[in-house]
Amino acid sequence: MSSHRVLIIGGGPAGLTAARHVSDLGFHATLIEKQAQLGGTPIASHYAALTHGFRDAEDAFRDLIHQVTDDKQIDVRLNSRVVGCEGRVGNFNVHVANGAGAETLDAGAIIVATGFEHFDPARETQIYNYYTYPDVITLADMELMLKSKTVTRRSNGALPERVCFIQCVGSRDRQIGNEYCSKVCCGVASKQAIEIKQLVPTAKLFIFYIDMRMYGYWENEIYWPAQEKYKVNYIKGIVTEVIQKGDKLLVRGEDTTMGRPMEVTMDLVVLSVGMEPSAGTKEIAHALQLKQNKYGFIEVPHESLDPTVTSTPGIFVAGAAAGPKDLDDTMSMAGLAALRAMAAVRGAN
Amino acid sequence: MAQTVKATPIEKEQVVIDGVDISGHWNRMFEQRVIFNYTPEHLEEIAALPGGESLEWCYQCAKCIGVCPVDIVGDYGPRKIYRKVQTGTVLAEDSDLWLCTTCRNCLRVCPKEVDMIQIMPAVREVAVNKGTVPSELQKAFENTARYGNPLGENPRKRADWAKDAGVPVPIMGQVRRPVDILWYVSTYTSYHQRGKDAARAMARVFSALGVDWGILGAEEKDDGDSQRLAGEKGLFEMLAEQNIATFGKYAFNKLVVSGPHEYNAFKRFYPQLGGEYEVEHYTQFLRPFIPRLQEMMKKPLNVKVTFHDPCYLGRHNGEYDAPRDLLRAIPGGTLTEMGRCRENGYCCGGGGGGMWLDSFSRDYTTMRLSDRRVLEAVETGADVLAVCCPFEVSRFEDAVKSTGNAGRLVVKDIIELVDESMRGA
Repeated sequence: MSSHRVLIIGGGPAGLTAARHVSDLGFHATLIEKQAQLGGTPIASHYAALTHGFRDAEDAFRDLIHQVTDDKQIDVRLNSRVVGCEGRVGNFNVHVANGAGAETLDAGAIIVATGFEHFDPARETQIYNYYTYPDVITLADMELMLKSKTVTRRSNGALPERVCFIQCVGSRDRQIGNEYCSKVCCGVASKQAIEIKQLVPTAKLFIFYIDMRMYGYWENEIYWPAQEKYKVNYIKGIVTEVIQKGDKLLVRGEDTTMGRPMEVTMDLVVLSVGMEPSAGTKEIAHALQLKQNKYGFIEVPHESLDPTVTSTPGIFVAGAAAGPKDLDDTMSMAGLAALRAMAAVRGAN
Repeated sequence: MAQTVKATPIEKEQVVIDGVDISGHWNRMFEQRVIFNYTPEHLEEIAALPGGESLEWCYQCAKCIGVCPVDIVGDYGPRKIYRKVQTGTVLAEDSDLWLCTTCRNCLRVCPKEVDMIQIMPAVREVAVNKGTVPSELQKAFENTARYGNPLGENPRKRADWAKDAGVPVPIMGQVRRPVDILWYVSTYTSYHQRGKDAARAMARVFSALGVDWGILGAEEKDDGDSQRLAGEKGLFEMLAEQNIATFGKYAFNKLVVSGPHEYNAFKRFYPQLGGEYEVEHYTQFLRPFIPRLQEMMKKPLNVKVTFHDPCYLGRHNGEYDAPRDLLRAIPGGTLTEMGRCRENGYCCGGGGGGMWLDSFSRDYTTMRLSDRRVLEAVETGADVLAVCCPFEVSRFEDAVKSTGNAGRLVVKDIIELVDESMRGA
């Protein structure tokens, strides 16, 4: 017998949105989340403000989470993970483990929304000394500071006079194996620079970049105000070394538009780490026997025209599980995945 | 925080090392190579000046460099200024400050609207107040203040050219009646040898057309626009006040000007100081008379003409066609355009104070902008380089000689060509 259930794996932005849409259109959704809370990376990593629009991240996702948890047609399973799956479109049997044991759920279609994780600077090829110097931090570390509205040097608790961002850490790098652009870091760094300037108006801000990738409205809504209103200095040329010098950090690289080497001191260095497939995304690929691309994200055979379809009929993907995504794209993709999943369920019944 | 450590240059007159004579060679790395610090404070200082806001908007796309007339003969360029200031250069004390001719080509293409036309005068005003103005420009300022013209000419001789015009030249202070057209002659048209030729030609053309006109004569003072752009806003305001007072003494319907700089001043900046007039460049004024002029222009000139767009008529004020319409109306003249014309016309180097900075600029450029422009004119195969800005005849005639093109190309104001054909001379 066929199942009418749409099973959604991952309780982050994509999974929550897909669940809501499935329910809105009258289908039953089951949302599987391995953590004890919903919200995914934006909540687990304490994001401060959404890059597009600067809305408080916790507020934004609280609404979304309540829409899902208050909905009787959505069955939310926290602390649960998918460990295996048999069957085919219209009639999957999904094995779900939780603290109490294991059960098998039937599902007509599955949406994978297992997201990404931040690149670990331990794998950098440059010498940024993230694990050595307390004042070298990542975008995610800075989000946590911004959320507490306190930007200070971790070494001595002082307000930073000079803060720089180093772009493309862990992205666009053949040696690291992440040849792709992580899409959001240019915008996130610029957004954070604005927030830092708002909190510490005396701070001088610098962003070292290869090329600024501020597609669409990020250009005029984030990049231009960061430069024009918040006096952020954009310097073309990536810093390749961070060295302790007294109580400052000496950053070294080339100032490419001046054609000269540069060595300047900073109080805080923020590494703009990119996206990699999350551990959950890799686990699910194995559990559902989905093809992954060379970087470990869920493979989407015809991404441009059919961005939610995976290698298995009836299993769809939404959000950063399929590769680097900003929230706007993630939400759109989640809606499409929900539609495709419901159509698959209906088609099989 | 900016470190300005400089090593001592090593210079020897007679040095032979391993048999190689390296006399006179020295270590060229005498300036610190490594950028030690960014000092965005200087950017913020400029941004705090009225008019200086947009410098820090630059995002280094470099579109300006491709069209900057100075970069092609030197190392100066708008986007480079941004970076130099960001890395510690104090623009008010730097030679770059005086190389911009305010030609407006960078602003025309700038996606961020970084406006050198406002930035330069704002920062130059700081230099004027600090007293760090190049001496030849300072001299032009002083002459303007003392004599009412940057050349230091005797103000009483401003209308001396009129004696040889061959037609009566009505001077407002003498005719004592309202006129239709008040012709503002301008400094270079009044005093420069070749400018005076254009002045006489204009008088004859006005006379032949039966225009009811007059000039201010000795009462006319320099418009001051280029002094303003060179940083002397106070001097500009003084001149404007004087000229506005003089205009106020007489009744006229329209101001007709010889040059684009005066046009720019009277049309766009005098109104802010209370002087509002209907203003036309002489090519605009004469355009409706073209049918009548054609009846009078009997002599075919049989020349190939190329035309140089003045920055302040074209890019600054959007007039590209009036001069060309006049040129096309002259019998026997064929107009051939230079590659860079109209919106992307190349600057002669005279604007924004450049007229009084040629010696200064020589140390920072490989050739004058006027030299380069003359080479472009020669490339078209033209016999005549036609102009309609009083700065240009002198600049381009010098450039024709200095580039070795004497006898190959002549420089004429459009009004001279019209007059020549009318007179059949």
